[in-house]
Amino acid sequence: MNLSPLLLLASLILLRGTASASTAEAEKRLQIAVSEVLGAADLASSGSALTGSLRPVLQKYVSFDAMTRRAVGPGWRQFTEDQQKKATQLFTTLIIRTYSSKLTPGEYPVIKFKAASAPAPGRVEVPTTLLYQGSQYNVTYRMEEAEGWRITDVLIEGVSLVANYRAQFDAQFKKGGSNAVIGALSQTVAQPQ
Amino acid sequence: MKRHTSLLPFLLAVSSVPLLTSCTSVPRKPPGPSLSAAVRNNKLDAKPAKAKEDDLDEYSTASVADPFEPLNRAIFWLNDGVYTVALRPISKGYEKVLPKPVRQGIDNAFENVKFPVRLINNALQGNFKRAWLETERFFVNTVIGFGGIVRQSDRFPSLADVPAADTGQTFAKWGIGHGAYIVLPLLGPSSLRDTVGLAGDYALNPVNLATTLYGGYAWTIAIPSTNTLRAMPDELAKYDSATKNALDRYLAARSSYIQYRHKAALK
Repeated sequence: MNLSPLLLLASLILLRGTASASTAEAEKRLQIAVSEVLGAADLASSGSALTGSLRPVLQKYVSFDAMTRRAVGPGWRQFTEDQQKKATQLFTTLIIRTYSSKLTPGEYPVIKFKAASAPAPGRVEVPTTLLYQGSQYNVTYRMEEAEGWRITDVLIEGVSLVANYRAQFDAQFKKGGSNAVIGALSQTVAQPQ
Repeated sequence: MKRHTSLLPFLLAVSSVPLLTSCTSVPRKPPGPSLSAAVRNNKLDAKPAKAKEDDLDEYSTASVADPFEPLNRAIFWLNDGVYTVALRPISKGYEKVLPKPVRQGIDNAFENVKFPVRLINNALQGNFKRAWLETERFFVNTVIGFGGIVRQSDRFPSLADVPAADTGQTFAKWGIGHGAYIVLPLLGPSSLRDTVGLAGDYALNPVNLATTLYGGYAWTIAIPSTNTLRAMPDELAKYDSATKNALDRYLAARSSYIQYRHKAALK
């Protein structure tokens, strides 16, 4: 009986240890992802070439499945399996395009990593400061452990990419359910950049 | 000229105004506002959730009442047209005429002069430590940064990253909500609370003081106009960043604005 405080302490130490190990792991993974992205961007000659060369790198480090699911929200359960695949595929293209449009080939940001935190088990947030074209931005990466650590959201100055699309998907879903969401996504992806 | 002094300086006072994408504090609604409602209406929440979908509701839409949505949308698209037809060419011209270091110096000087906005709002928020840091920052930049042109404060770690304070943020910290979302002509996304905040920032910005005191002279308009011009490239970049690749650009701008203001109120 007297052992219970000790057990509690031991489990707390264990949890703490696991949390810091996972934040370090996630941080390391993010650093590798960022350097690979910059490496791929370096090889691109133009904006459209950049989108193409970033795709395989981003697909390795970003969980587009989780991003799409969260951006759609509870309505996701109403999507058929095919619709879920289609929505993920379209949203992936849109996110890669959005991400690529923020980089100009030849001009690269300087990124400083700050201390990461673990808001919940299996989740890590890595705040960074990004110096780009003379301006400084606070960028936070949300990461989750699913087949290794993967990025699930990017927040620029507190503005979440996923939440921003959630607001838009929400309106489409209310208008016409899953078909309206997919229709609007297709239309946006089809627009010339 | 005199008749311009009432409205024009205000419109030109973008200086103190976090223009197209600023921020606010909204107490977040409990998760799952409109979409959850839609799901409930369809009686779909009775379906068992798959294990991975438990987190589906964590990204609830940032909440703000938008009772004037039709009018807001009209102003949003009008602004969008004005940005394309007038402001973008002006902004590009400005970027072409002046090299980046010169523009940066002008930006720094105007931001430095806005010191009273940050000082007074930090004090009103009861954050005297930050008010003191702002004071240090102002003196460092003014004295050794050639009147604020060079941001020498960045050399000091304690002064490099002091969060900016504004009047709308002060209201948020006092617990005042947005009221309603509104899109202002030219200035873009705002709310009832933040519009009052803008008026406060305007009054506290020394750049606008001359216009208020000596309205009627051309130079009293020239300074706020320069301020508007120098802020344009950055504000248009923020606008583009928020609305590019959006399914609905109005909703994208609104969501970005509310999230940004929410974050600012937490700083």
